Amino acid sequence: MHFTTMILSSSLLTVFLILTLPILGTLNPNPTKSQWAKENVKTAVKTAFFVSLIPLFIFINEGLEVIMTNWEWMNTLMFNINISLKFDLYSVVFTPVALYVTWSILEFASWYMHNDPNMNRFFKYLLIFLIAMIILVTANNMFQLFIGWEGVGIMSFLLIGWWSGRADANTAALQAVAYNRVGDIGLILAMAWMAVNLNSWEMQQLFSLTASHDLTLPLLGLVLAATGKSAQFGLHPWLPSAMEGPTPVSALLHSSTMVVAGIFLLVRLSPMMENNPLVLSICLCLGALTTVFTATCALTQNDIKKIIAFSTSSQLGLMMVTIGLNQPYLAFLHICTHAFFKAMLFLCSGSIIHSLNDEQDIGKMGGLHQLLPLTSSCLTIGSLALTGTPFLAGFFSKDAIIEALSTSYLNAWALVLTLLATSFTAIYSLRVVFFVSMGHPRFNSLSPINENNPSVMNPLKRLAWGSILAGLLITTNITPMKPLVMTMPLTLKLAALTVTITGLLTALELASLTSQQFKTKPLPTTHHFSNMLGYFPSVIHRLIPKANLVLGQLVANQTIDQTWLEKTGPKMMTSINLPLISSTSNLQQGVIKTYFLMFFFTMILAILTLV
Amino acid sequence: MGAHLVRRYVTETDTEPDPARKFEFDPVLGFPERKEREMVATQEHMNLAHLPLEQRDYCAHHLLKLMKCKRDNWPNFLACKHERHDWDYCEHQDYVMRMKEYERERRLQLRKKRIEANAEAA
Repeated sequence: MHFTTMILSSSLLTVFLILTLPILGTLNPNPTKSQWAKENVKTAVKTAFFVSLIPLFIFINEGLEVIMTNWEWMNTLMFNINISLKFDLYSVVFTPVALYVTWSILEFASWYMHNDPNMNRFFKYLLIFLIAMIILVTANNMFQLFIGWEGVGIMSFLLIGWWSGRADANTAALQAVAYNRVGDIGLILAMAWMAVNLNSWEMQQLFSLTASHDLTLPLLGLVLAATGKSAQFGLHPWLPSAMEGPTPVSALLHSSTMVVAGIFLLVRLSPMMENNPLVLSICLCLGALTTVFTATCALTQNDIKKIIAFSTSSQLGLMMVTIGLNQPYLAFLHICTHAFFKAMLFLCSGSIIHSLNDEQDIGKMGGLHQLLPLTSSCLTIGSLALTGTPFLAGFFSKDAIIEALSTSYLNAWALVLTLLATSFTAIYSLRVVFFVSMGHPRFNSLSPINENNPSVMNPLKRLAWGSILAGLLITTNITPMKPLVMTMPLTLKLAALTVTITGLLTALELASLTSQQFKTKPLPTTHHFSNMLGYFPSVIHRLIPKANLVLGQLVANQTIDQTWLEKTGPKMMTSINLPLISSTSNLQQGVIKTYFLMFFFTMILAILTLV
Repeated sequence: MGAHLVRRYVTETDTEPDPARKFEFDPVLGFPERKEREMVATQEHMNLAHLPLEQRDYCAHHLLKLMKCKRDNWPNFLACKHERHDWDYCEHQDYVMRMKEYERERRLQLRKKRIEANAEAA
């Protein structure tokens, strides 16, 4: 085997080994030391990150991509399932990004969760999640991808419901599992179709065999899977509810890594989607609808974590739009840049929440610019990167996506909705920064505000550097897989920037109005729509159980009791037989006089004839 | 901006060409000498570089130079500005050529409609 191929493969296998060793170390019956989490887990992830940089540099320098088939697991005469890993652009770039973000989050979590009695178990769960995510990302066949897919779903359930004494947390965890399950139906449908029609689950074989088939059904299954996992419209309520989990969980799972698994699936299988305009249009319109709907919902939320959760959902909608434009590389680029600034926003919010004694309402924050300077600076940098400020991380991906959308000949309505969502992004980002950092404090003076713990500050600084430099580094080092259209009128080129600045100025105006006194007037209906999340959870979470209960009542009452027992069963038998019985017995009753009369007349007749 | 959409869906629905379909008129019509464009990069070069299908266009030779420059200059990722610009400019000229071909097709369709209208009137 060639030398660099060997180095790339063995480095990535070493990454797997480094991440798995702490988990295996907990199998011994001795209890883990109190510093196990900080010493073993965080160090493992940090080492794994540095090791994963080697394959990244090899890939950037030479463009080397490797597919390894390690173990023939379940091979029959007709069907093969192997453990095979694919180290191409997507997995080689995503692995270091995920490890860098996880390293920062684990260091932050060692401060955030230090009062928790089960901190070691928490770190173990996060590590198992990370391993499942990397299995998903490096999978070269659908079965392995499914293992990673379900793994991240289960760990999400366990981590959202971490504070299981809280009823809301349990409900949120179940909600996440239920919505993800609906998406899993789509994934299993696609896998079943592939197994039946193409007789393979290996990606190379799928791509080469699908030229002559109509792929609409499996692709719709894959889109359903992505809708469930990546919280697209229709299966989205689990993501804001998932904020019941601890902030490190929200930062890792529900912003950077797990929720992008659905988009990653579509990116991985994009060669199958290229030639199917129906599915591409569905992705485009679904993504546009998601991005604008969730951005609208984010405008009027008061919980800082929920605003960031809806922001994540909106960016996931934008990634789905990019898939619909047949630009999987741009979607992947946005996955990578989004991981940095979204994780940083969540860590900033965690630092603020803990400093204000677990206060999450932005109406009760304020003036933190003076009191938490590093945190509010990082919050501002993250928000600027999110809105696509030129030359920060988000700009390279977001602007490229909007340019591609503007110059394509596809749905103009999707373009309008996406631009609207971009301006809403600026509005709610400014709203967060305004209510949190600007103005005067609206909380008690005795709050444990401090920024002197390096476990908090170092992760924030690392992610801030990532949010500034990641976009530049990725785009200068890696040439895109498709040539991008760079020729467009000036108005289209500046569309995203104009729309963002308009949103920012509108938000500044509206926010400054909040500090003036007005006569109270009833809130307009649009506020209600946005605040109640479009009434979507209220309707859907009640509609289906009500339908089930009504159906149960109909079945129990009308079908069983009334129909089978009364009208067709025993009672019917009774009602038919009873008249027959009574008329038969009635016929034979009360005829004694008739009998006597007959006897008498027969006697008279007999006597007369004898005489 | 948007004039092409207005033309396509509102004002000139019968003559506006569909960019997704093949054009009706011969590319050589009206030109005394016109040769088909030739690719500079050969199949062999592109296969050796493992170029994906979408990048094998008329500007692939610039892309191959860019890839070579990047490989030679790594880790200096700011080095290949000139080659990058050459590739981008070639793609831009390709886009402009596609726009011009579209406009040519549109004008030929309008000319055809005018000729038919004159023939009917005569």
